[in-house]
Amino acid sequence: MHRVGFTTTIPLEIVLAAGMTPVDLNNVFITSPHATRMIEEAEVDGFPRSICGWIKGIYAAVVECGIHELIAVTEGDCSNTRALMEVLSLKGVETIPFAYPHDRDPAGLRFEIEKLMRRFGVGWDAVKLSRERLGRIRRKVKEIDRLTWDENRVSGQENHYFQVCTSDMNSDPDRFEAEVDAFLEKARQREPFRQRLRLAYIGVPPIMTDLYPFVETLDARVVFNETQRQFAMPFDTPDLVEQYRAYTYPYDIFHRLSDILMELERRKVDAVIHYVQSFCFRQIEDMIVRQKLPLPVLTLEGDKPGPLDARTRIRIEGFLEMLA
Amino acid sequence: MNLGIDLGSRKAKFALVQEGHVIRLADHDTVPFYKRYGRLEGEELVLDLAASGLFSAEELEGATVVVTGYGRNTLSLRGARVVSEIRAHVAGALAQTGLADFTLLDMGGQDTKVALVKAGKLTDFVMNDKCAASSGRYLENMAAILEVSLAELSSHWHDPVPLDATCGIFGESELIGQILRGYPVERLCAGVNQTLVKRVLPMLRRFPSETVVLTGGVAHNRALVRLLEEATGRTLVVPEHPQHNGAIGCASM
Repeated sequence: MHRVGFTTTIPLEIVLAAGMTPVDLNNVFITSPHATRMIEEAEVDGFPRSICGWIKGIYAAVVECGIHELIAVTEGDCSNTRALMEVLSLKGVETIPFAYPHDRDPAGLRFEIEKLMRRFGVGWDAVKLSRERLGRIRRKVKEIDRLTWDENRVSGQENHYFQVCTSDMNSDPDRFEAEVDAFLEKARQREPFRQRLRLAYIGVPPIMTDLYPFVETLDARVVFNETQRQFAMPFDTPDLVEQYRAYTYPYDIFHRLSDILMELERRKVDAVIHYVQSFCFRQIEDMIVRQKLPLPVLTLEGDKPGPLDARTRIRIEGFLEMLA
Repeated sequence: MNLGIDLGSRKAKFALVQEGHVIRLADHDTVPFYKRYGRLEGEELVLDLAASGLFSAEELEGATVVVTGYGRNTLSLRGARVVSEIRAHVAGALAQTGLADFTLLDMGGQDTKVALVKAGKLTDFVMNDKCAASSGRYLENMAAILEVSLAELSSHWHDPVPLDATCGIFGESELIGQILRGYPVERLCAGVNQTLVKRVLPMLRRFPSETVVLTGGVAHNRALVRLLEEATGRTLVVPEHPQHNGAIGCASM
């Protein structure tokens, strides 16, 4: 089947309604055993060292998997995506821009969604069917999330994995749903985890590979993965436009914070890890996060894929000990 | 009797403490210390403290060992309780100064930590994590380029030559450029000390409190103390044994 790559969450329903295979290039990059080499290759091709590792990873993923068609989110995510799109179009990749309107204007978002639908030659009926199909999977992933914070039967890493995969449903919704079903059955029968400290993880998904298991060795557990949960879209919304308006990630920080604050309280979180990517504009938002959140916040910065470095481990240990 | 060990990047530091009193302090350059007296058994670090001659057999026999430092992060030390660096340094500052409310600025061989302590409890902290250009190692490099001793470098604060490179290594070529311009060595030394202040000020401003407790080997730099007092307008307290603060903290916990 024809594969369509994308740079961050886009209305997946449209790609699937068009009978195409969605590929979240972030996931391709970070799950690759050669993720570090992919960054180096992008740098060899000319990407500056002082640009976010995810942009370089996406670039290398497009090249490595031979993606010919790419939906690039030009507003609401990283503005470097524009230049990435231009570089890739020079390499012969067909690029389709998609923009989340900063003010969450419903008419603006509908316009963008319908433009994408026209581009893929699908109408609202097909998109609605596709939305119902994905809605069933999303509700199951929402249950995994509930089992994480409400019943403590799911680890932070598992929670991260299943929610982050919803961005493209692992390129195969049926197979992904079967994986979700099997996991749910297993998780429901588990003994609850007993870690004492309940943490929230906010910010983009971590580029480091062992954050969750490391935290769990220190009597703490992540019970809220902010952005990953947003990818999974666990909201009760009447239609596709409202679904992507309720989604917080591409809009302003205050829209994100209202969601975060609600979940911190609901999930009885003790402290927050705010992950920021090196060279990302979202690092600036850390100032606002620290001012607005009523809990202790540890800001972690990551650059390239790999295990936690010694200094980050020291900082996490110190932070968790401080809370003890 | 408690033996506290702080395995730093440049020095391994030791403190023998009995009922709150420091009995003896010792230190050793880290790399030769590991080479001579350390070995790995599986994932565990085994230190032959008896062979190092730093402590008597009786002292080692009766002592409870608590360890912290960079070395402990990748390794566990056999027979010792391990604690995090932040906790160890705060405990050391509390034990050495008797203060309960302060901002701790610990400047070591590579690490710089700033911690806010309120009512004797650690409430928040930041650490350098991407660059060590505000550390003792940076001072050593700059002293070598200026061909002065660390003591000489650390005695000048008047009229610093501006040095602005954000990177400690690029800072070397910038310093060489200023040497060529003919600035006197005293002003160049003051400039180097001033760069440390510029790098730690944003971290200090994040945790405003009346008193700053300065620890770590860099606290021996008198010029830095003077320049920091000028820049912050706060009272600076350097405890009696700044470089052994982490080890004393370990032994006091």
